Amino acid sequence: MLEWIDSTALSTWLKESPSVWAFPTVLTLHTTGMGILVGASYVLDLRLLGIGRNVPLSGYRWVFPTVAVALFINIVTGILLFIKDPTHWGTAIPFLIKMLLVIASVATVIPMRRLVTGSGAEQRDVSSNMRLLAIASIIVWSGAITAGRLLAYVVP
Amino acid sequence: MNLNLAHLHLIMNHVPTIGSVAALALLLLGYVRRSEHLKHVGLEVLFVIAVLTLPVYVSGVAAHQEVKTFKEVSDDAIRVHQDAALIAFVVMEFAGFVAWAALWQWRRHGRAANGLVPAATVLLVLALAVMARAANLGGEIRHPEILEGAVAAPAGNPERFMTWSVNQVAVYSRWAWPAAETVHFLGLSLSFGVLLAVNLRILGVMRQIPFADVHRLLPWGMLGFGANLITGMFFFVGQPGQYSSSEPFKWKVVFLVIAGANFLYLTVFVRPWARGNDRFDAGLGDKAMAILSMASWVAVLWAGRMLPFLGKAF
Repeated sequence: MLEWIDSTALSTWLKESPSVWAFPTVLTLHTTGMGILVGASYVLDLRLLGIGRNVPLSGYRWVFPTVAVALFINIVTGILLFIKDPTHWGTAIPFLIKMLLVIASVATVIPMRRLVTGSGAEQRDVSSNMRLLAIASIIVWSGAITAGRLLAYVVP
Repeated sequence: MNLNLAHLHLIMNHVPTIGSVAALALLLLGYVRRSEHLKHVGLEVLFVIAVLTLPVYVSGVAAHQEVKTFKEVSDDAIRVHQDAALIAFVVMEFAGFVAWAALWQWRRHGRAANGLVPAATVLLVLALAVMARAANLGGEIRHPEILEGAVAAPAGNPERFMTWSVNQVAVYSRWAWPAAETVHFLGLSLSFGVLLAVNLRILGVMRQIPFADVHRLLPWGMLGFGANLITGMFFFVGQPGQYSSSEPFKWKVVFLVIAGANFLYLTVFVRPWARGNDRFDAGLGDKAMAILSMASWVAVLWAGRMLPFLGKAF
């Protein structure tokens, strides 16, 4: 299966095209998406932890469409990056760890979305469970970035 | 004529010293005349000079690469200047951060915390002193007429040089470079998130929130940027050859300067406060600045990520 992906025209194009619009652009889009995705999540986590507590929770509704768009970009570009070297990534434990961390990160955003979109115009209070979730969210997002960045060094 | 970064260094290298003198004069005049306004302008000038010191430093390293084959130029004289310049750069950036913190508090509370403006002033005096030393050593590279006696730097052991030590860590440490890359990406995300919140507010998203409440987040953006300035300088000082002649790196620095100026605007701009802050609707100019802010940071990221492909960094 991985070898079949490796032999597709798309994989070959990503591997061999000298164009800046091939692999380099896919990778840069992936990084841009990361900045927006993780950045918007961080800002929401900070709010839940009390940074900017004057702002009612409903003021953070913009975070979710932003996260959704950036996540979409990164799933698409991430799949392309996988297709470029499927036998390489498909068998690498650090890569699987990164995937688990990304899934865990996205999972932390879901209850936050329920809280924020369901909050009234003036609601500012955050439960202690939600604060713990915010801390967990910062840790797993940071872990996902760390794992992703280190892939370039620990997977030969 | 082919205008290279060595020319840029010669054009810009007096900006930090002369600019620091101007900022210091404004601050001191502010103290003498008891004018808060003059002090505020002094801090703004200081911040702008701190931003402009970045292209001066990196173009100097590029200039070094250009002239190091010239027989009449002493490589050691340049290395001594470069080490002094790195110290001056660090102190200058530190002064710039403190000045920024004072400006941020000023906008938020109407005045800076006790001690912050004097701290910025003292750091600026210190920056000026180390900058003057760096400038003097730089002058000796090409102006033998100011030398007294022999060249101050005898040829010899490269291990004396700070830049050399950083280079050794960057090349030989197994974890230093990957760790710095990781911090660089974490810092990038934090800065992006904060700038997204602030600029979206200016563009009209979450209009019911007072601008002051998103302005509150700016130091977190600065934290991310600070982490990236430190790790970024580690890359640059550690492996200058990868960057100094790289086309995307030039663009990265250009957009960093634009983004830095824009960040000052976001920190101090007047309109939301003048209108009692509630229900602030940004004008066209403010919205243009918000778009410029996001565009220039995305450009910084693109130029940075493209370094290995359009340039020769790894």
